[in-house]
Amino acid sequence: MARIAGVNIPTQKRVVIALTYIHGIGSVKAKEICGKVGIPAERRVNQLSDADVVRIREVIDQDYRVEGDLRREVAMNIKRLMDLGCYRGLRHRKGLPVRGQRTHTNARTRKGPAKAIAGKKK
Amino acid sequence: MARSVWKGPFVDGYLLKKSEATRASGRNEVIKTWSRRSTILPQFVGLTFGVYNGQKFLPVLVTENMIGHKFGEFSPTRNFPGHAADKKAKRG
Repeated sequence: MARIAGVNIPTQKRVVIALTYIHGIGSVKAKEICGKVGIPAERRVNQLSDADVVRIREVIDQDYRVEGDLRREVAMNIKRLMDLGCYRGLRHRKGLPVRGQRTHTNARTRKGPAKAIAGKKK
Repeated sequence: MARSVWKGPFVDGYLLKKSEATRASGRNEVIKTWSRRSTILPQFVGLTFGVYNGQKFLPVLVTENMIGHKFGEFSPTRNFPGHAADKKAKRG
């Protein structure tokens, strides 16, 4: 069991892969971290020494914004847009796509499941 | 793609002159503009601009957070009143 950056407990997998279970760390950053700490690519999480785990934790704490902090930052950025009253903020408020995509059809990711309209269909 | 930094922010020149003039006159009157494409600069903070949306000039009070955005972002050109009345119209 290794606890890194809060709640994440990936085991059994290679360190490079396991680190990507942390929100805010993808494969690129995971590789960077392994490089900085000096962990070979094949090493698995359960083979890590405690010192290694501590060092990974330190590197992440210092150089990366992950999990709660990252989520908060993103939420703050969106909130800023909404409070400004600019176009992007309005789109966020309405739950519609922000970057100019079409909404005549599609856009279901933002709009959620389709709602039936009474009286449509011929 | 983002604009090249070496060009600096884009602003229609007359806005600079007008904003200075209103600053100098002291009265805070609305500066009407059609230039939705102009970037909001730090020296515009505190002034009110009437940004044209194709129909009327919407007053936009420029705050510090708006710096770097364009005027057009604060003056929506489309008005979607909703679908309410369609129900009866169809199915006829």
